[in-house]
Amino acid sequence: MKIRGLLAIWAAKAAGAVCRRMGRQGVTWAGKIALKIDPSILEELSGQVRKKIFVVCGTNGKTTTNNLLCAALEAEGAKVVCNHTGSNMLNGVAAAFVLEAGLNGKIDADYACIEADEASTRYIFPPLQPDYMILTNLFRDQLDRYGEIDITMNILKEMIQKVDKMTLIVNGDDALSAFLAQETGKPCVTYGILEKTVKEEGTEIREGRFCKKCGTKLEYRFYHYSQLGDYYCPGCGFERPHLDYGAEAVKLGDQISFTVEDRRLVADYKGFYNVYNLLAAYAAGRSAGLKLEHFNEMLRKFHPENGRMEQFRMGQTGITLNLAKNPAGFNQNIAAVMQDTNPKDIIIVINDNAQDGRDISWLWDVDFDRFQEESIHSITVSGIRCQDMRLRLKYVDIPSILEADVETAIRDRIRDGVGNLYVLVNYTALFSTRNILKKIEGEKK
Amino acid sequence: MKLVIGHLYPDLLNLYGDRGNIACLTKRCQWRGIEAEVRTFELGEPIDFTKLDLVLLGGGSDREQMLVCQKLREIRKDFQEYVEKDGVVIAICGGYQLLGKYYKTDQRTIPGLELVDMYTEQGEGRLIDNIVLKSDLVEMPIVGFENHGGRTYINGNRSLGKVLYGSGNDGQTKEEGVVYRNVIGTYLHGPLLPKNPQLADYLIKKALERKYQREIILEKLDDSQEEEANTYVFQRFSGEKEK
Repeated sequence: MKIRGLLAIWAAKAAGAVCRRMGRQGVTWAGKIALKIDPSILEELSGQVRKKIFVVCGTNGKTTTNNLLCAALEAEGAKVVCNHTGSNMLNGVAAAFVLEAGLNGKIDADYACIEADEASTRYIFPPLQPDYMILTNLFRDQLDRYGEIDITMNILKEMIQKVDKMTLIVNGDDALSAFLAQETGKPCVTYGILEKTVKEEGTEIREGRFCKKCGTKLEYRFYHYSQLGDYYCPGCGFERPHLDYGAEAVKLGDQISFTVEDRRLVADYKGFYNVYNLLAAYAAGRSAGLKLEHFNEMLRKFHPENGRMEQFRMGQTGITLNLAKNPAGFNQNIAAVMQDTNPKDIIIVINDNAQDGRDISWLWDVDFDRFQEESIHSITVSGIRCQDMRLRLKYVDIPSILEADVETAIRDRIRDGVGNLYVLVNYTALFSTRNILKKIEGEKK
Repeated sequence: MKLVIGHLYPDLLNLYGDRGNIACLTKRCQWRGIEAEVRTFELGEPIDFTKLDLVLLGGGSDREQMLVCQKLREIRKDFQEYVEKDGVVIAICGGYQLLGKYYKTDQRTIPGLELVDMYTEQGEGRLIDNIVLKSDLVEMPIVGFENHGGRTYINGNRSLGKVLYGSGNDGQTKEEGVVYRNVIGTYLHGPLLPKNPQLADYLIKKALERKYQREIILEKLDDSQEEEANTYVFQRFSGEKEK
């Protein structure tokens, strides 16, 4: 490696260490410094990965899928570079490699698992040249930042076509993702759920109701959530592709379990959407030729510690923190919360910073009426746009407590002696809320 | 009393929480003991405008708008008659653009309904931000969020309001939206009506007065939560401008 690359790595590592000491994550800053000193650092380091590079894209489930895949590869004894924290723009991706490199500029890795922000693929794909791209789903998200879904799809299509020899691993249950994959002409592996598993929910806003090929309204043989299901077009015959990795006998509850390739996979999480995350990681590992014999073992040890159904305990109060940043994600969150039939209290934190999307009109696309249940004692609304959230609940006849300050809201509920508290937050509220919960948890010990 | 709301093509035109507008209109009727019925129409379905008291046309992506406009020509005449007979219409974002003669983009010209003398042309970059207006129709400021690539020119028609913060119709004239007879067109979503209860009531009142041919005085509701949410946006953004 040239001296410039080494300098980039040293400087970034120093910056990363300083930031961590100052209590900031500092990851993206380290990446920025490295790229400033050596713009080709990502290309150089990712070129050292011995086997395959995976990239995970899609609106929801990127971080969980990517971390699951990384854990699955590690369980097979592989060494993996991964942007665990979900810093998924160019700087974050560069940082994952730089911080993994030794001071000699060498990376000891068999695989790389990289989640990538869809709009950032144009900066990430050219230097990275991924072997596999997982596409989890396409939902409406941050319309003020990305514009319409069609714009995101166009960017992805262009970037996918620019990478030679890449195989797509795509959620076949999503008509938008499947269509996009088909359009690119790239080899494609599909995963999905083979059978009807949940009771139909009629009111949810579905994306892509109309065939991307011919404009006819899509029909469904059955349907899971949002636009996911077994679709077909009466107009042109476009339909859900054959599923290479199809889940059967799906069981939901306190655990998730399903059968794929005659193997029963069992995970300790809630939330239907996690079936897709598990399937995506499994399909990716298998496609790359791994047997994944330790997959279940890995699942037993896998605890998401990044605000995805993360558990905290303070005295008698059990707290579950979960990220919910767009209608599809929020509806799935609500379904997961309602799976828990015990009495519960809820805090909803809504911010409108740039990374959240400054436009919070999406709150009205979430089916909050499903919170009209006796098992819910109280709902507290918090965060920068708590007033909008309170109003949203008013129009489904749910009264709420308004407390703009998140820490006060949490402490108030703990003081009330609440036993089972769910804290649902959108993106920029995630890290601050998690820090608050860690702090309070520390005090109580 | 009863109000019949026609929601046009929610399958296609449902961006930016448009269904919040429907929820707002129905709830504000029901809270006053006024029956509210929502009829949703799918593309291609015949619409009897004489049975409707209020029509909502929402926003969609350019692609979806193109799908809609091809079919809209079929209902144009009936829709125009409804408008000329003072039928109440609230049209938002893409729906607003469709009221006019055309929407010209880089790639094509989408013909509109020609209900209002106005037109839209794609401009450089999208106008995306929170937005605050002062309108003659209501006392409270009107607040919302705008996200549009089109610039709309209303040819001397009355606007919905003056822009206090944000871009508005074309980013130049400091005017936003259009008011023609009982038609209101606007780029504001957020969604528009929940945080602007006076505007919701304006629409309800106009629709009921047209239907029952007498002056209607709507019962006052407790709007403290609506007002607080409105004031928050007003103070945060239109305060910023004066700095």
